[in-house]
Amino acid sequence: MTDISANGAAPQVRSSILVQDVKMRRRNAAETRFKSYGLIAIAISLAILALMLFTIFRDGISSFRQAQLTFPVELSAGILDPNGARNPADLAKVTTVGYGRVLDVALLKALADKGIALDDPKQATALISKAAPAQLRNIVLANPAQIGRTIEVEVLALGRVDGYFKGRVTRETAERDPQIKPVQLDLIDKMRGAGLVALHFNWNFIFGTDASEQRPEAAGLGIALIGSAYMMLLVVVLSLPIGVAASIYLEEFAPKNRWTDLIEVNISNLAEVPSIVFGILGLAIFINFAQFPMSSSLVGALVLTLMTLPTIIIATRASLRAVPPSIRDAALGVGASKMQTVFHHVLPLAMPGILTGTILGLATALGETAPLLLIGMVAFVTNYSATPLDPATALPVQVYSWASRADPAFIERSNGAIIVLLAFLVVMNVVAILLRRRFETRW
Amino acid sequence: MNDMRIVERTVDTHDVKIDAKDVNVHYGTSHALKGVSVAIPDKTVTAFIGPSGCGKSTFLRCLNRMNDTIASCRVDGLIALDGEDIYDRRVDPVQLRAKVGMVFQKPNPFPKSIYDNVSYGPKIHGLTRNKAELDEIVESCLKKAALWNEVKDRLHSPGTGLSGGQQQRLCIARAIATSPEVLLMDEPCSALDPIATAQVEELIDELRSSFSVVIVTHSMQQAARVSQRTAFFHLGNLVEYGETGQIFTSPQDPRTESYISGRIG
Amino acid sequence: MSVLLLLAVMAAIGAAGYIFCRGRVMAQVGGNPRELHSLPGYYGWNGAIMATLPALAVMVVWLIAQPLILESRVVSHLPEATAAEPAARKLAMADIRRVASGLDLAVAGGAIPAQDVATISPGEVRARLGTVGVALGSDVTPETLAAAITWRDQARSGLIGRSVVVILVALAGLAYALMATKPDFRARNRVEKVVLGGLIAASTVAILTTVGIVASMLSESFEFFGMYPWTEFFFGVTWSPNFSGGSTFGFLPLLWGTLYITLVAMLVAVPLGLFAAIYLAEYASPRARSVIKPLIEVIAGIPTVVFGIFALITVGPFLRDWLAQPLGLGNSGSSVMTAGIVIGILNIPYISSLSDDIINAVPQSLRDGSFGLGATKSETVRQVVLPAALPGIVGAGLMATSRAIGETMIVVMGAGAAAKLSLNPFEAMTTMTVKIVGQLTGDTDFGSPETLVAFALGMTLFVITLCLNILALYVVRKYREQYE
Repeated sequence: MTDISANGAAPQVRSSILVQDVKMRRRNAAETRFKSYGLIAIAISLAILALMLFTIFRDGISSFRQAQLTFPVELSAGILDPNGARNPADLAKVTTVGYGRVLDVALLKALADKGIALDDPKQATALISKAAPAQLRNIVLANPAQIGRTIEVEVLALGRVDGYFKGRVTRETAERDPQIKPVQLDLIDKMRGAGLVALHFNWNFIFGTDASEQRPEAAGLGIALIGSAYMMLLVVVLSLPIGVAASIYLEEFAPKNRWTDLIEVNISNLAEVPSIVFGILGLAIFINFAQFPMSSSLVGALVLTLMTLPTIIIATRASLRAVPPSIRDAALGVGASKMQTVFHHVLPLAMPGILTGTILGLATALGETAPLLLIGMVAFVTNYSATPLDPATALPVQVYSWASRADPAFIERSNGAIIVLLAFLVVMNVVAILLRRRFETRW
Repeated sequence: MNDMRIVERTVDTHDVKIDAKDVNVHYGTSHALKGVSVAIPDKTVTAFIGPSGCGKSTFLRCLNRMNDTIASCRVDGLIALDGEDIYDRRVDPVQLRAKVGMVFQKPNPFPKSIYDNVSYGPKIHGLTRNKAELDEIVESCLKKAALWNEVKDRLHSPGTGLSGGQQQRLCIARAIATSPEVLLMDEPCSALDPIATAQVEELIDELRSSFSVVIVTHSMQQAARVSQRTAFFHLGNLVEYGETGQIFTSPQDPRTESYISGRIG
Repeated sequence: MSVLLLLAVMAAIGAAGYIFCRGRVMAQVGGNPRELHSLPGYYGWNGAIMATLPALAVMVVWLIAQPLILESRVVSHLPEATAAEPAARKLAMADIRRVASGLDLAVAGGAIPAQDVATISPGEVRARLGTVGVALGSDVTPETLAAAITWRDQARSGLIGRSVVVILVALAGLAYALMATKPDFRARNRVEKVVLGGLIAASTVAILTTVGIVASMLSESFEFFGMYPWTEFFFGVTWSPNFSGGSTFGFLPLLWGTLYITLVAMLVAVPLGLFAAIYLAEYASPRARSVIKPLIEVIAGIPTVVFGIFALITVGPFLRDWLAQPLGLGNSGSSVMTAGIVIGILNIPYISSLSDDIINAVPQSLRDGSFGLGATKSETVRQVVLPAALPGIVGAGLMATSRAIGETMIVVMGAGAAAKLSLNPFEAMTTMTVKIVGQLTGDTDFGSPETLVAFALGMTLFVITLCLNILALYVVRKYREQYE
């Protein structure tokens, strides 16, 4: 009995380990299958990531180039400066309507010079962007001495012209489009041949202000960049000292009791609270209760600070904990106070880790959108904000608000804005990685 | 008692179970085992002794290719089980380990019930056709491991809830449930108290009738108590290998003698 | 004096405190710092702290108290009915503030001469303020105007009082510090005590944030439930807010949409994330691991609005054209599937890195035990490692679920806005977060249930995610203790 049981249930035939039996082959097949599930999961995840980045770059990279009309414009003194005094106050009174007329005349003249015939002058003048007169006005006001002369200007073309260059607008879509007709597309081809219209690098997309629904060609990221910059600056200024101070207290000074336990649980929970809840907090406390200005970068920064704090605290505590106790003992041993030990020895050693955590926290904050919608940063702002108290938007919010507009030209810009946003995130992450590499544990 | 063993030994020596010839092991750049050749007989307890870091555990882990799980480890030389090279390209280490079971230094029961711990091996190797057979194996293995009486009423409570000695016997039961031909034991008693150690040693002696047992131990007394043959390792070399009685009473090598008398180690 | 200017003055007094106190103590010991209890700098810092800290505290208290006091003073101008009703009173106060700040602007901009403010007639206020860009919704009542004028007067005198008091307190603190400065004064201990106080204050910011979240949402939610019965909110099946009144706020369609999308997301994220984690932890070579793991984590670093665009432009139309329409299940690009799949992708790195940590925490001895019995790697993983890691993995799943429930941008852009109770995953549905954004974006009126319902939704969302997180933290902590 014991003999049989010791050898298992079935008395075994001696088998060679050099040959795989059927059972083993089946088990090895299962092994291979299981392993491949893992590889497939990784492949799917990375493929989707690649697909997402690919679609964004495919749809967005073109927003950095924009169709521009280039032609000589005669700055007729009769329209632009009726008094002839070149008085800035008088010049400023001329509206964009006047400049629009100057542009129309100049374009028709340029077409006639190049020998391009037109059925209807409107077909050509409609190709000038509604934002172009304002561009010309800015050029003239910047240098009034040009009035009366003929200068070569480069102004925005209608968004549909840009779309035609980038393949968004075709003859089929133009049939149904109230903004452009197939005849005009033929005209564009001729103008392109004559060098009157071409794609140029689009600084206005990066630094310009947002534009209304009807002029996607003029919309730019300038205000969003300013808003995001203000917010990042304020978030660093607020969250780094508070986060580091809180971590130092919790890690180095706090007694182990209910209160510090409560704080710890609190911090780990705050790190997981949905971001939109912070938006509600911002709306109720900072805007409704404290009466801070709606849509301002200040309120946005306060909300993002509260969101970033848990991340910074968690990272800081980890790097404080990584400083070996021997260093504290050494400092205390030469008679430094606890406070001096921490500030002179522990904190400098933990600094790279703290900075890395902070940069990563900032990167998350930079991409945060939902809470900013609630505090009104989605508003349509057309003036550069001079202080953090002025209305502004933010990069990710601009992505969202462009994506929700009807004209497909805004989708291109939305993707372009994502590219700018991702560029900043890549830079921040690379800096964080380099910091981590550079200062990896020296003890 | 020693006399009886000597009689047995002379009967068994011709039947070699594992034959190792000129085995070298490298961990990265360090040379952990230098040209070891040993012939391990069947149905015998063979003890590997020697100071810490002498390579005895490393050698043990070569015998069922557990070293494969360590990326930097490189083994060369020949190790044959019943005349078949276990490092042959055609050998599946999984299949090998079913024949060469292992019990570890620290009891490592799975966080499952006692029953599931013992039935794990038979299940994965597909050794049984039905539940009744599985029950039978579990019962007989627990009996073999001298654990049945202590756990028969709580087969479905977690194995991690047992005492240290019970856990180690559970691990032995688990190892013999796959009906291996060789059982490797890596310091199986080092984490146990003296009473549990005595129980396990008794068990090892009984297992000898069914398996070839190879045991690594720190304790010379233990080697003397349970083994019939002993190999002494020092600094990666196999210094001396022979009958236990002879190694302990009249060692040939001065290093063995100094170790046994407590001068090195 | 504006707050910024006042802060600058305080900083100047503080700097003076540093210099004077340091100089004084050095003069007392004749320039020999060995006779001091602390380093000279600490005496300086003590001076700076004593000069600025109390003054700062007074200023903060004043900033908070002044509007409250002013409010109680001007409330007498309001009709009794308005003053007694909290919501109406709140509105009236907002009006008064707007008119008062408008008057300030108008005086600054020259639209109203300063001396005329007291005598301006209610009829012309709106037009006058319009010229400086302060738009008022309706004509100003005489009561509001009178209250606003009182408010403005008192605020102006308050401003002067504030500057005087704050500066006096700063100077008094400086004088006190100067008197206390003696060679045997324990300046370092005093300064360190203040620094420690600062550290403690910083650590309570986390608590205050939670208190702020709970307080703001509770108070507004209560106000909402005062206007709308809670039973109809939590058990209602129709969601149709109407800003002109007669709204129904049934929470169930939103909850259903949220849970349905979360379910789809988890069905995507858990298998992909878990298998990726198993591969990384058990199979991948260290080299492959060091490449693949960061690549997967890149997904977590991409802002959710980018995923929103991906859902809106790529995933939504793809599902519509290739699955929903051929199967006759609908023709909407926004759908539960769209949002769910994209949220699932977002959660893959989260699940995979948490599970990876947890699988790595399973002791190697268990794997050795299994290999020693002749188990293959996959048998070991499935039958030993995963059961041992199960609690931790469940915890990771709970955390990911809580993230999916609270996710906003992807559902805003990919799920649609129609509150529906439907089983068809290709139909557009909506979630709690979408409706919070919907109800709170644009002009918000804190008196109407249409706005306040968002706070009730926020409260519910907060409670659900908090419970999930606490549960997950508890499960994971228990799991870690098991192997430590």
